[in-house]
Amino acid sequence: MIHIQQHKTVPHLPQRTLLESIEDQKIVVQFHCREGFCGACRTKLRSGEVEYTSFPLAYIDDDEILPCCCYPLSDIEIELA
Amino acid sequence: MKYTTFNQVNNNALIEPMFFGNPVNVARYDQQKHQIFEKLIEKQISFFWRPEEVDVSKDRVDFQKLSDSEKHIFISNLKYQTLLDSIQGRSPNIAFLPIISLPELETWVETWSFFETIHSRSYTHILRNLFGDPSSIFNDIVDNQEIKKRASDISQYYDDLIFAVQLWQTLGEGQHTVNGKVHNITMRELKKKLFLCMNSVNALEAIRFYVSFACTFAFAERELMEGNSKIIRLIARDENLHLTSTQHIINLWAKGKDDPEMAEIAEECKEQATEIFLNAVRQEKEWATYLFQQGSMIGLNKEILCQYVEFIANHRMSAIGLGQPFDVKSNPLPWMNNYLNSDNVQVAPQESEISSYLVGQIDSEVNADDFGDFDL
Ligand code: FES
Ligand SMILES: [Fe+2]
Ligand SMILES: [Fe+2]
Repeated sequence: MIHIQQHKTVPHLPQRTLLESIEDQKIVVQFHCREGFCGACRTKLRSGEVEYTSFPLAYIDDDEILPCCCYPLSDIEIELA
Repeated sequence: MKYTTFNQVNNNALIEPMFFGNPVNVARYDQQKHQIFEKLIEKQISFFWRPEEVDVSKDRVDFQKLSDSEKHIFISNLKYQTLLDSIQGRSPNIAFLPIISLPELETWVETWSFFETIHSRSYTHILRNLFGDPSSIFNDIVDNQEIKKRASDISQYYDDLIFAVQLWQTLGEGQHTVNGKVHNITMRELKKKLFLCMNSVNALEAIRFYVSFACTFAFAERELMEGNSKIIRLIARDENLHLTSTQHIINLWAKGKDDPEMAEIAEECKEQATEIFLNAVRQEKEWATYLFQQGSMIGLNKEILCQYVEFIANHRMSAIGLGQPFDVKSNPLPWMNNYLNSDNVQVAPQESEISSYLVGQIDSEVNADDFGDFDL
C-alpha cells in the first residue's frame, strides 16, 4: 500500500509506476518528463523502499524519490510536494 | 594556471574536483568520479534530432490568421528563445571547459552545447518558413531594448567568470591592472564567480526558458503553430536534461561531495544565489508585461504567466536548497505538463523505421481525456 501523508492510502497497481498508481486515484502529482530526468515529480519517501525501472537521472535528495520511474518494494509512506 | 590541451601530469581524475583542478588529459570514460555526467551524456545523445525533420509549413498559414497582438507575442517569444540559445550555444564551452578537471564533465558540457546549437538552428528553420527573409527579426534581437536588458543580465555572470579566468590563466593569482582597472584574482574569487555563474545558468534554463515554453504551448493548445510547438517540445526535453545537470553540479558542491571549498562558498553565497533567481523571476514578469502590452491571447495572459513563473521558480529553487519563496501551490498552467511529457515526444520503436518519420510523428494534440479527470 502507498500511504500518502495528509491524503489517503492507495493501492499500488501491478505493472505500473508509483506515479501512475497515485494518479489512478485522481490525486495530483507534478510531472513533466515521466522518465526520470527532469525532477518535476520529486517526492519525499518517509518510510519503505522503492525500486527504479530506469536510472533516476534527475537530482534528488537522499530522502526523496522519483515516482515516475519507480515502484514500491514494500508498504511505503510518502509526502507529496 | 596556464591552460594546456593535454596535461602531461599523470594525475588521477578520480580525485580531481569538477573545476579548477588539473586540466583534463586522457578522455576516458571507463571510470568516473561523478557517474551522473556519463549518464546525462548517454541520455542526451539518445535524444538526437534535426529541425529539418519537423514540418513547419502549416505554421505559415496559421501565422497569417493571428491577430496583431498574437503576432507580437509569438515573434517576441521566438526572439527571446533565439537569444537564450545564442548564449547557451557558446557560453558553457567558453566559460567552463578551460577550468574543468573531469573527462566526463568535459564531455557532458560539449554534448550539452552541441544540442544548444541544434536549438539555434531550429529557430532559423522556423523563421525562414514564416518570413522567407528573417533578417529583420534577427536584427531586432540586438536592437530591441526589452531583449537587450535581459541579455546583459544573463551574459554578465558568464562574462565575469570568463574574464577572471583569462587573467588567472595568463597572470596567475594577484592584483592585476588592466586598462587602469584593478582586478583582484584569487582562487576563492574565481570559485565564487563560478558558483554564481552556475546558478545563473540554472535560472536561465530552469525558469526563463519555461516562460517562453508556456507561450509556445499556449498557441498549440489552440491548435495553432503546431510545427513550431513540435520543435519547442524537442527543445524542452533537452532543456529538462540541462537544468538537471546544473542542479547536480550545484548540489554536489553544496553537499560537500566535490570540492570542500565550494561547499563553503555555496553557504556563503546563498543570498546572492537567491537574488539571481528572484531577479530572473522579476525580469520574466516584466517580459510578460511587454509580451501582452498589445493584448492577451486566449488561454494566456500576463497574470497567469506571472503565476507560472512563481510556481516554476518555487520548484527549481527548492531543488537546490533555496526554499520556496512564493505562495503559489498548484500549477496555474496544468496543460504545460502534457507538452513536457517525453512520452508524447517519442514514438513506439516499431513506428520509427526512418528518423524523419520519428520526429514527424510527434503528436502535438493533447489528449484531454487522459488528464481531464484531474481537478487541478
Ligand atoms: S516526471 Fe520527470 S523525473 Fe519524474
Ligand atoms: Fe537550448
Ligand atoms: Fe539548454
